[in-house]
Amino acid sequence: MFKKILFATSATEACDHAARVAFNMAKSYDAQICILHVLGVPTRGFSQVVLDVKTKEKVTLDDEYIAWVEEEIKVHYSKQIATVQNYEIKVVIGLPHREILRAARETAPDLIVMGGSTGDDEDSVYKKSMVGSTLQRVAKVAPCPLLVVNRPAASFWGGMSNVVFGTDFSKASDAAFRFALKLVKALDCELHIFHALDIGSMHLGRSMTQDEIESNLRESLRRIRGRYIPEMKDIPEYDFEVWEGIPYVEIVKYAREKHADLIIMAHHTQKASQEDTRLGSNIEQVIVRAGCPVISINR
Amino acid sequence: MPEGKFCNKKPVETEEELKALLGDTGGKQYYEEMKSLDVDQALLWKTIQNTLKSRMKTWLEICAHCGMCADSCFLYLINDQDPKQVPAYKIQSTLGEIVKRKGKVNNEFMRMVMETAWAKCTCCNRCGMYCPHGIDMGVMFGYLRGLCYQQGFVPWEMKIGAGMHRVYRAQMDVTDEDFVETFEWMVEEYEEDYPGLEVPVDKEGADILYTVNAREVKHYPEDLAEAAILFHLAGENWTVPTSGWEQTSLAMFAGDWAACKMQVEHVYAAMERLKPKRMVGTECGHAHRATVVEGPYWAGRSTGKPPVESIHYVEWLAEALREGKLKIDPSKRLKKPVTLQDSCNYVRNNGLKDITREIMSYIVEPGYFKEMSPNREHNYCCGGGGGFNGIGLFRPQRNKALITKRDQILNVGAEMVIAPCHNCWDAIRDLEEEYKIGIKWSFLKPLVISMVEIPEHLKLQE
Repeated sequence: MFKKILFATSATEACDHAARVAFNMAKSYDAQICILHVLGVPTRGFSQVVLDVKTKEKVTLDDEYIAWVEEEIKVHYSKQIATVQNYEIKVVIGLPHREILRAARETAPDLIVMGGSTGDDEDSVYKKSMVGSTLQRVAKVAPCPLLVVNRPAASFWGGMSNVVFGTDFSKASDAAFRFALKLVKALDCELHIFHALDIGSMHLGRSMTQDEIESNLRESLRRIRGRYIPEMKDIPEYDFEVWEGIPYVEIVKYAREKHADLIIMAHHTQKASQEDTRLGSNIEQVIVRAGCPVISINR
Repeated sequence: MPEGKFCNKKPVETEEELKALLGDTGGKQYYEEMKSLDVDQALLWKTIQNTLKSRMKTWLEICAHCGMCADSCFLYLINDQDPKQVPAYKIQSTLGEIVKRKGKVNNEFMRMVMETAWAKCTCCNRCGMYCPHGIDMGVMFGYLRGLCYQQGFVPWEMKIGAGMHRVYRAQMDVTDEDFVETFEWMVEEYEEDYPGLEVPVDKEGADILYTVNAREVKHYPEDLAEAAILFHLAGENWTVPTSGWEQTSLAMFAGDWAACKMQVEHVYAAMERLKPKRMVGTECGHAHRATVVEGPYWAGRSTGKPPVESIHYVEWLAEALREGKLKIDPSKRLKKPVTLQDSCNYVRNNGLKDITREIMSYIVEPGYFKEMSPNREHNYCCGGGGGFNGIGLFRPQRNKALITKRDQILNVGAEMVIAPCHNCWDAIRDLEEEYKIGIKWSFLKPLVISMVEIPEHLKLQE
């Protein structure tokens, strides 16, 4: 199910934990891995100047520099590269999110793997000339599932046995469910379906009574039974639960309790926020906080 | 060595030549070769005799050396009022001298001319407004660049830029296929948010033919999507041409007159082929100047106008907001100190100063819009105009030039600069990178999208 993996990386420590997962998967599933590195947009007009990711110095772009960066990447990942059959390194010029999406469109991978947010690093070489982070922008429109490893703790991925699927019953969640189903069948693992009842932001100015909460919980369980369970005939091991609270916190807690190796959630096609470059929505918060990789699906 | 491998009098005509020239990292060999490039004095003088017409001849002669132009030039002011930065001096000591000597100038002189023409003038034309005789040094520098280009004394990046237009009919290596493919890709990315969004390609007789800047296609394709979204929400009958979509002209900055003509005729051919009611160009300053203001003359059009009525993006946007085709949600207007960068190329040179302010009145909460000083047709160049942004050799001079704009922005206390011009947008981003004053900068399209009301029938149905 993962034959082609696109691993987008800065080839620095920030992406090392994502690299472990990406190469691990490539090895386990005999996948072809494409290591994609974006140099940034050359400064203005035809000045072919970019900032080097490591030294942060201005470098004039030419074939020699690109070849050197390729070599650096090869060295950085030398041990992991030795473990996979089929790899390729691509070094391109442009805005990171755009070039990742371009590569995804051109090569149609089964999965994109990325490290988490590089934060608000003042001297980041990837200029914040556009609002929203690379991750948000890729997650919003990626043509295939996107796997994100944000925390080092999330990266030790020795195969998969427990998958958590978090749903909000949206259309996008249905797509994520279909993917989760395919994945647990192919990789033979347990599926844990989870919905978190939002008792915070949804009901501003008024707290729900306990009766309301409990009736909503029952309703959500009924929806899971009606919507997902009929499609799970050939899944031997699964369970489902609904908890109340702040959704992203509950999902992370649930995943921890289930010893999840992977969380699958939908990314809604909401517009990336214009002003706020912090990660905002539930899935983005889950990505930041989870102790395992998170797969985001938008279609 | 008279003609170099890279630095010579021959324009770049093929993809191979273009790649070879780009392969000369930073133009190292190119500028080395320039040091021994011969000046074809006979050709130079013949060209002057054929092309230096009465207006410029008169200008060169009647300059009274009064110095009124000095304070009008931001490069003079920012360079400690160096007398060598007085516009009249700059043009008299270059073009004036070449004419006086009947073209008998040497290599060293031409290299000085090149530096003056590209690093001491952004062709912003501000001096022309302050000269008591109306002498426009910017216009003359534009002409002088043509002479430099012909002789091979042109900055490396400008030669590449002009070559791009010759090879691709675009300022970057973006083919017609890339353009259409990228536009369609963007629509695919956004069509879920905007049901019914499409990019009508090569539609004949549309109300609007939209033309762009190749940088959008290459690096910021969101801009294409944003244009499509706003036309869609406004209910416009619009189209893009499969060929002739590039509105810009680095050839104009380079002084490559022949390429200017080729480029603009290519766009006009698209207009003639698709017969739209109007052409709307993207948020770019020099593109408007090249295609709408100067282009008709390059193409030898007796009307002095493009084949169809051609307007700048700000004109279309103001009209759409005024007529209610696009409606702004008043609660989403900008509520922070905002200022506006007047692009020389369509404000000073094409009079669009009030229309951009009309747009501000729709999108900025009353009381938050701050005018830079000076402003409108008196505004200073962003600091990177006329190709200055793109020339590596003159980067230190360019960075110094940005200080004028930086201080204008700081003085007005703006948190955001709206820059409906690619070149200004780049310069303001660079000045933030260089001087870190904590401002944001934006084109109009993303701002309007963030506050526009979506008509009921175009809303996303859950």
